[in-house]
Amino acid sequence: MNASSRPEAAFVILLMQATFWFLAGASALPFVLGGEVYMLLLAAFSFALAGFTVWSGMEVVWRRGWARRAVLVLEWICLMGSLLMLVLPIGANRGPVSLLVNVALPIAVILLLHGKAMRDQFGIRRSVTG
Amino acid sequence: MYDIAPTHAIGLYAGLIALPLAILALRRSRNHRKQPGTVQIACVLMAVTGVVHLALIPHHLASDPLTSVLFLFNGVAFLTLAVAVRWRWWRLSSAALLVATILGYLFYVDFRLEGPDQVGLATKVIELAALGMVLVPVPNEKPLRDRPWYWALLASGLPALILVSGAGVWIEALAHPDPRHVHAGATLQSTNVVPTSGQQDAAATLYEQTAAAIVPYEDWHQAWAAGYRPAGSTDMPSTHWFNKAYEKGPVLDPHHPQGLVYANTHHGPVLLGAMFQMQRIGAFGPDPGGPLTAWHQHENICFTLIGLEFSLMTPYSTCPLGAIDVTAPAMLHVWIVDNPKGGPFAVDIDPSVVAAIDRT
Repeated sequence: MNASSRPEAAFVILLMQATFWFLAGASALPFVLGGEVYMLLLAAFSFALAGFTVWSGMEVVWRRGWARRAVLVLEWICLMGSLLMLVLPIGANRGPVSLLVNVALPIAVILLLHGKAMRDQFGIRRSVTG
Repeated sequence: MYDIAPTHAIGLYAGLIALPLAILALRRSRNHRKQPGTVQIACVLMAVTGVVHLALIPHHLASDPLTSVLFLFNGVAFLTLAVAVRWRWWRLSSAALLVATILGYLFYVDFRLEGPDQVGLATKVIELAALGMVLVPVPNEKPLRDRPWYWALLASGLPALILVSGAGVWIEALAHPDPRHVHAGATLQSTNVVPTSGQQDAAATLYEQTAAAIVPYEDWHQAWAAGYRPAGSTDMPSTHWFNKAYEKGPVLDPHHPQGLVYANTHHGPVLLGAMFQMQRIGAFGPDPGGPLTAWHQHENICFTLIGLEFSLMTPYSTCPLGAIDVTAPAMLHVWIVDNPKGGPFAVDIDPSVVAAIDRT
């Protein structure tokens, strides 16, 4: 694939992941009203992660080297965590949506941002407006 | 929502087969190779969702011809757009078709023309990704004047569509669970529909024996002395107390229930009932009362060690950060307080009953 558009493709996936995490954070809020006060903390964590993901995604589009590294670390953590959940006998969901969102999307971002072509591209700052 | 509808499984298989074929076809197409990577990805994803739609037609043809026609239109349109990548209106048409398809699915789910399932939701994830790839501008792409609009559409439209579709599907799944799901996350054991007189007697016996056996635990100090401990926050209306000594059995022994349920009232814990639990996930226990004593298993719940609290997994299979997706082994409650909405073996205690106990 043409390497020049890979950061933009990664941004799309990061935006999706951020929205999924935002939705997960929002889903904890009704339980706070039901008395599960610590869910508020988890919701705040999720919103913060969603915000960071969008921000780093934007920085990836701007070809910032730190953002590429941060996103790769984040995606590797997500991928390893998801695979661990799938392997452990805790009854984690193994349906196609779970595999797509928690495994395929992190793999896609890692594949899009890895490699020498990407490292080279992130060494030069470019304007997003072309 | 978390299951695969049997009639939709064919769509999943077709999509999995279509993916490598679409990638192969794209690699062999000179027209596609000249396009930006985002466009290539969008073409592959649209080809996959097109094939999924076409594969679903045979199962819907007899029961729902209108849906079959829509699937046919969708499938052909997606495949055409996946091929006609050099068409002047490709981007606009692709975005419009993807948005219409996602909103159409939401319409079908919310008007109960179709139940949400894993194939439908997975297809929506693919379509959302395709929509993002269609909209995102890439460097050196023309025309420059349109780029800010595409960025604005992407940054606002894609999250909005994910939130609307996720919330819409979830609200419908919570409001109208299928017969085996008492509420989101609780799957009932399969049983006969109408209890026999023998099953009615067995259920009554189980109830009487359990109610009599746990009378001492009306004093929570006795339960504590016997080894029962709260397994979650006591700030909630009610809390399950578990006894680790009974984790591995016996099964369905009225004298040794694995758990007790207490209402957390302003005058201390008040015993609501007992809870029997199996050791392993996926194994339902003995069911002497047939449909009256069907076990249930909580699936797709998000559990956090921070405060030992629970929430529910979203339709897009995510939990709040700090919680993990788990399934609890099958359980059966025996409520010793009057539970008018569900009866003595209901999955849940009526919250108004707990509130009334707290007021006394």
